[in-house]
Amino acid sequence: MTLAPNSIEQLREQLPKAKAVEAMDLSAIGELIEHVPEDMTATVQAGMTLGDFQSQLALQNQWLPVDPPCPGALSIGAQLAGNATGPRRFGCGTIRDWLIGITVVLPDGRLIRNGGKVVKNVAGFDLCKLFVGSRGTLGIIVEATFKLLPKPEAEVFLKKECASLDDAEALLEQLWQSDLQPHVLDLHRLDGRPVNLVAGFSGARADVEAQTTVASALGLRTETNLDYDAAFRPTAHVTESVAPADTINFLHSITDCDFVARAGNGVVYARHQHPEKFKGGIGDDLVFDPPAVQTRIKNIFDPEGILPTL
Amino acid sequence: MGQTNLIRELQAIVGAEAVLSAEEELLVYECDAYTLEKNLPTAVVLPRTTEEVVAVVKLCNRLKLPIIPRGAGTSLSGAVLAVDGGVMIALTRMNRVLNVDARNRRALVEAGCVNAWITRDAAPHGLFFAPDPSSQSACTIGGNVATNSGGPHTLKNGVTTNHVLGYEMVLPDGTVEWLGTEPDGGEEVEGYDLRGAAIGCEGMFGVVTRVLVRLMKTPPAFKTFLGIFESVDDASQAVSDIIRAGIVPGALEMMDQLITQAVEEAYHFGFPLDAGAVLIVELDGLRDGVEAQGKQVEKICHQNNAREVRVAKDDTERAAIWKCRKRAFGAIGRLSPNYVTQDGVVPRSKLPEIMRFIRATSKKHGLRIPNVFHAGDGNIHPLILYDERKTGEVQRALAAGHDILEKCIALGGSVTGEHGIGAEKIDFMPKQFSADDLDAMKMLRRAFDPAQRCNPHKMFPGGKRCAEFAPRKQAHA
Repeated sequence: MTLAPNSIEQLREQLPKAKAVEAMDLSAIGELIEHVPEDMTATVQAGMTLGDFQSQLALQNQWLPVDPPCPGALSIGAQLAGNATGPRRFGCGTIRDWLIGITVVLPDGRLIRNGGKVVKNVAGFDLCKLFVGSRGTLGIIVEATFKLLPKPEAEVFLKKECASLDDAEALLEQLWQSDLQPHVLDLHRLDGRPVNLVAGFSGARADVEAQTTVASALGLRTETNLDYDAAFRPTAHVTESVAPADTINFLHSITDCDFVARAGNGVVYARHQHPEKFKGGIGDDLVFDPPAVQTRIKNIFDPEGILPTL
Repeated sequence: MGQTNLIRELQAIVGAEAVLSAEEELLVYECDAYTLEKNLPTAVVLPRTTEEVVAVVKLCNRLKLPIIPRGAGTSLSGAVLAVDGGVMIALTRMNRVLNVDARNRRALVEAGCVNAWITRDAAPHGLFFAPDPSSQSACTIGGNVATNSGGPHTLKNGVTTNHVLGYEMVLPDGTVEWLGTEPDGGEEVEGYDLRGAAIGCEGMFGVVTRVLVRLMKTPPAFKTFLGIFESVDDASQAVSDIIRAGIVPGALEMMDQLITQAVEEAYHFGFPLDAGAVLIVELDGLRDGVEAQGKQVEKICHQNNAREVRVAKDDTERAAIWKCRKRAFGAIGRLSPNYVTQDGVVPRSKLPEIMRFIRATSKKHGLRIPNVFHAGDGNIHPLILYDERKTGEVQRALAAGHDILEKCIALGGSVTGEHGIGAEKIDFMPKQFSADDLDAMKMLRRAFDPAQRCNPHKMFPGGKRCAEFAPRKQAHA
């Protein structure tokens, strides 16, 4: 069943009585609670979309440094539940790094808070981390507090077309060894076209300009944007995560796939060029055997099995 | 089983020289750097391998004995106090840097590895480990994971949880789990973020034995400023203005007049003795940006009535500034025979208010309270000075700390930014959190430690307290 509560209180009443909740519509619980620019923190209800939240923050020239595809259609709750990421994760990390407080409705209807509103806080265990990426299996996040960053003074994305994966690897190594500090480091091969390396630089204008000059000497001269990520990701068949240094090796193993790869993170999104031949799995797909702790957590937080399993 | 049999079994696992059980040997382990409460563990073991840890944990499991994991014992909150005896597992002999993987910007280290050794070994590769608690030359990475340690340079780069990719933990039932990213594995890990959930568990979920840390590229440029201000209010306003201008310095630290005088007397850096506050602003990054933002920082300091803004002229001078800052607690001995350090957090914008409150609290209790703190994070460290030989001073010092922490909660903050709850701050947990909030934390603990034998009687009210509760001088942070 799908729950669509019109208030947190209603969710607290509905959830304990619900059976086999499959989806949650929190669009009625979507207010910006507060944004304190001088503290660089903001508290928002989970039903607001990430896009709307970013627009509100932008009024004060700040942002939440995550950039998953389609922020206009992604609620804060869904963003947290899935730990959605985008190209800037290389420089900015994931939402786990920016979440400092949560309010959660537990399956038994209790409303609990964890963390707080300050950027540094070690009082109590870190349930924020537990809930990020838990896909709504332990409780429903209804409110979240984030630390924020100032919007960068300047940001630029440069790309270079590479003749082969080996060429891309050589360029990647040069970038890795240089003084450059890209916040985006992607490789992509789209519609069977050649591999492109994309590097992004952001921050103080003087830094971005200086880095652009250095990157240009390495052949990164064509200005571009990150639109490829949102266009490609929803069509990808598989996500693979390897140690960053193993990225190119992995890409060599998927010759008949298009891909977008976070080369700095070792995360690859791949799409088979002939989907009809796709047998569901490329690379070393291992069956995930959850540790006993994980099963115990689920059983303790949701003993009645009201919420889905992971 | 009697005590003798326990010792014999422990000796069979780790060897006779790695078991301490005589009272004079155990005294070192009766407390950490929080010295107001003390108790002896039943025994201390010093294992050398994960396998030995597992065998010790399984033995404790069979005998239903408490397990207390311990690093270097630099905790300021009594996190490793053996409240009810039990077997203390000290990881200090498992202290190797196993591997620096420069290409993946990772290092694999044993839990007892000293924090500063990681950067020492990573530096030749142009890399460093970001979390830098003031005790970094002594504290261990296992302890950092257990307490989610911070440090002066966490404003820009974050705290331990942002820099630990994964780790091996021996659970209280003796099973070994690798939580998070594996040494050769990818960042994305299936399932719940058990890695993140157990960082900051204060040793209550299991024994950390090996840690995979993330390394960062050493910034090519640093610029370290000393802003000399007439008042703490002016310096606090400068902090807010710097952040508001969109500048995120690597560190933003403040020292008030009392602490500046003590530091100057101890280390002779050349701090002015009559300044109301000294602000340390360190920018790091690429040369051009650091220069451009440096000009802004200087301007903001002057706009807030800075008497003088000095720039560290080279690495030696920069190192000297940080030495003074990180050893500030050590200079307090010149001011007072005893002190107690607090560790509250307020939203950055409330800094002027909490500093005014601390001044009022100082007057109210008739005790001097110097301040040296992470201004950029709103993380305050008031040092409440007292003399245990004077009647009533101990109680007044504790009352003053109490007042300050209650005010932090009232201002929307927290009673600890980096030192942890441990034994010290248990009574504040119900003030900062509801009963249901605390219950949710206990639910997580039960999943890791159903029998609640790992570092028991910490964090939550209702547990046992130490019989001996003797205020004494605290060691440096």
